Amino acid sequence: MELLSARSLNFTYPKSSDQALTNIDFNVNEGDFMVLCGPSGSGKSTLVRLFKQELELHGERIGEIKYKGARLEDNDPFLLAKEIGMVFQDPENQIVMNTVMEELLFGMENLGFSSNEMRKKVAEIVHYFGFHHLLHQRTSELSGGEKQQVNLASILLLDPKILILDEPTAQLDPIAAKDFIHLLKQLNDEFGITIVIVEHRLNELFSIANRIVMLDKGQIKFDAKPRDAIKLFYSKMDAYLPEASQLYLAFMEAKEASNVPFTVKESKHWLSGMDITLRSTVDEEEASYINKTLLELKEIDFRYAKHTKPVLSNLSLAVHEGEWLAILGGNGTGKSTLLKIIAGLKTSQHGKIKYKGKKIKKMDQKRIGYLPQNPKLYFLHETLQEEYHALGEKHGKSDDEVFELVKEFQMESLLHRHPYDLSGGELQRAALVGILIGNPELLLLDEPTKGLDPAFKDEFAKVIQSVRKSGVTIVMVTHDIEFAAKHVTRCSMMFQGDVIVTEKTTTFLKENNYYTTMISRITKDSHVPTVVTVEEAKTHWLMKKELLSSV
Amino acid sequence: MPRGFRSFHPFVLMLYYIAVIAGLMINQHPFFLLAAFICLVFVNLILDKGVELNKWKYMILFLSLFVLVLTPIFNQQGNIVLWTVFSREIYLEAIIQGFMIACTLSGILALFTTFSIVITSDKFLYMFSKVFPKWALILMLALRFVPLFRKRLSDIQDVQEMKGVSMKDGKLREKAQNGMLFIQILLTYSLEEAIQTADSMSARGYGLQKRSNYESYAWKLRDSYVLIYIIAFSLLIIIGWQLHESVLMLAPTLESIALEGNSWFYLIGWISLISLPIWTEGKEVMKWSFYQRDL
Repeated sequence: MELLSARSLNFTYPKSSDQALTNIDFNVNEGDFMVLCGPSGSGKSTLVRLFKQELELHGERIGEIKYKGARLEDNDPFLLAKEIGMVFQDPENQIVMNTVMEELLFGMENLGFSSNEMRKKVAEIVHYFGFHHLLHQRTSELSGGEKQQVNLASILLLDPKILILDEPTAQLDPIAAKDFIHLLKQLNDEFGITIVIVEHRLNELFSIANRIVMLDKGQIKFDAKPRDAIKLFYSKMDAYLPEASQLYLAFMEAKEASNVPFTVKESKHWLSGMDITLRSTVDEEEASYINKTLLELKEIDFRYAKHTKPVLSNLSLAVHEGEWLAILGGNGTGKSTLLKIIAGLKTSQHGKIKYKGKKIKKMDQKRIGYLPQNPKLYFLHETLQEEYHALGEKHGKSDDEVFELVKEFQMESLLHRHPYDLSGGELQRAALVGILIGNPELLLLDEPTKGLDPAFKDEFAKVIQSVRKSGVTIVMVTHDIEFAAKHVTRCSMMFQGDVIVTEKTTTFLKENNYYTTMISRITKDSHVPTVVTVEEAKTHWLMKKELLSSV
Repeated sequence: MPRGFRSFHPFVLMLYYIAVIAGLMINQHPFFLLAAFICLVFVNLILDKGVELNKWKYMILFLSLFVLVLTPIFNQQGNIVLWTVFSREIYLEAIIQGFMIACTLSGILALFTTFSIVITSDKFLYMFSKVFPKWALILMLALRFVPLFRKRLSDIQDVQEMKGVSMKDGKLREKAQNGMLFIQILLTYSLEEAIQTADSMSARGYGLQKRSNYESYAWKLRDSYVLIYIIAFSLLIIIGWQLHESVLMLAPTLESIALEGNSWFYLIGWISLISLPIWTEGKEVMKWSFYQRDL
């Protein structure tokens, strides 16, 4: 049964000459699990927001949206609020109340549920989600993944027929993101709740969804089953495919859509019929690599207050000159705190820090550039131009020198914009230019790839590589293993406030079982040489011949 | 806490506090006030082993001494002169008065240390929302913004310190200027983010109709009993006050301090009212110790 539909839908934002959406014909059937993808600014968010009447998107809408056969405007607003549920991207900003219990009740109170109904429904949902331990906690103390689950639960309490999710996992770490997506699958399977999800990260979603809709420049490019979507994605938009599929497509001549693997299991099956050996190549990275220590931390202890648990304990770490080091690890292992110690924002209670061989008490902050997780916090002025001018003055650089840098990063056209009007990728680049005005020797990045789409991620990596070539050492805290695998020279793993291992990226990821890329999980312990990324497979694998295909 | 004093309905608990505070103010008799203070210390002990009261002990001690010393110096009314110090007469009435004020203040402070243990913020909000539902919602939203703002401000400070803009060093003028800039960023940023919060509120049907309210505190039979208990003893205290049985007359002539006849009866009523938490909470303690002994 058709649940939601749009007929020749057009939408234009006020004061904008371009249409945000053009001629959208679109329908969602009951029980669908639909993924909406596309590059940033393609109109995905606009489209899903139009389905939620309460959000009252400002702009001009032409065309009709129907819910259960009746125009959206003609439906009972009460019913719409109840039956169309929406989860947004940022877990933090969606939360309204102070405690988890209040948050769960918020929607039900709005819709006038009685006390007894609420009591019963909360009891049910708490049991289903396993929230017992969270119920009386403050919402500000939850982790990102928990917050997003509370948001989802709060909406599920209203008994929605359809759930619309706008990049719900963009701000979560990979494990929490995976949990969240599996939760959605469970809701779809067990309760038949229709799901429409906007997402860039399709690794898990490909095998779960039954429809994939691609949007580009406000138009629907295609609307297909995952199997059929493979062909449509291939060659131009590979980055959207699961890595397992990318690997297959990179090596197989005959690209049979029905054979393309989505998961590790399917991929292993495909590889079992292949004969692949290692091509002898010289590791360029290895050859040019010099092990000169730039920064050394020894036996660092840190705790926030006297009686709290130590965040860092007996931590030692060496950062080499000119490298790109990634610090990986789960939530609450002290990654961000370590970055703050390196940045000199916090002083350790025990331990030594050596910079360029000299023992120092605290890092000189002039030598360090720090790109925060949220680049918005970096800007103090109305336009980028003013910001850069102020920074230039501070660091004794002329406007011409500053402009050189702006040109190098292709930011000329954005100079007069307010920082908050920039997209996520642009904002990051803008902050990076500001940081580079200060000529840092060491650049610290805190979760730089959070919420970026695949295209922006690659672009960002290129920018960072060029910064690195100019002699800047880079230390990055990240959850994004796939990103680290592609670009980073060494990886450090943190566990319980200590760096337990620091190794070359490939060695590190090849040895790991759980904390590693999909490709590594596919190729590990198989008869083919282990690789960690598709690119590595492309350069290192030599395919002799195809064995009898058993797929 | 399903049993004990704290488990009663917030309105009953609130009434207890109102009754005791009113009692402390009208029962202006040294014995009544001293008894009240001692009782309240026990209430503190039984509720949280006196942890909260301990934080306030110097405050109470200092305040009491202050009042005890100063009242006789400044209060120059009375009939019985005890001493003359620097040509100022010290009256017995003034000393008794000082003692009573000190006891009243200490009593109120000791009562308030238990207030935060008994009437927790959610109970308070619950009562508040009954009277002003809209304001209560705004208050709850504001409560959530306090930790959020604090976290954002410290993030801004960290990021800006790395840029060389900080509130830690430099001239006072610069520090203040930077501080203002930070607040400005905090507000711009928070307003921007608040749009998303507003979206999330309206997506969950906020403002569509009158909100209902989750009754987290159901009225139980024992709430009625305790309500009657409090009302009965409060009435008794009011009667005692009206009959001057629980008040020490200082003027025109000083009454005898000793309690006589009916005054004893009102004192017992007064103590019974204050020690309500001791009975209800103590019952649980006793039950538990019997239970353990049986094992």
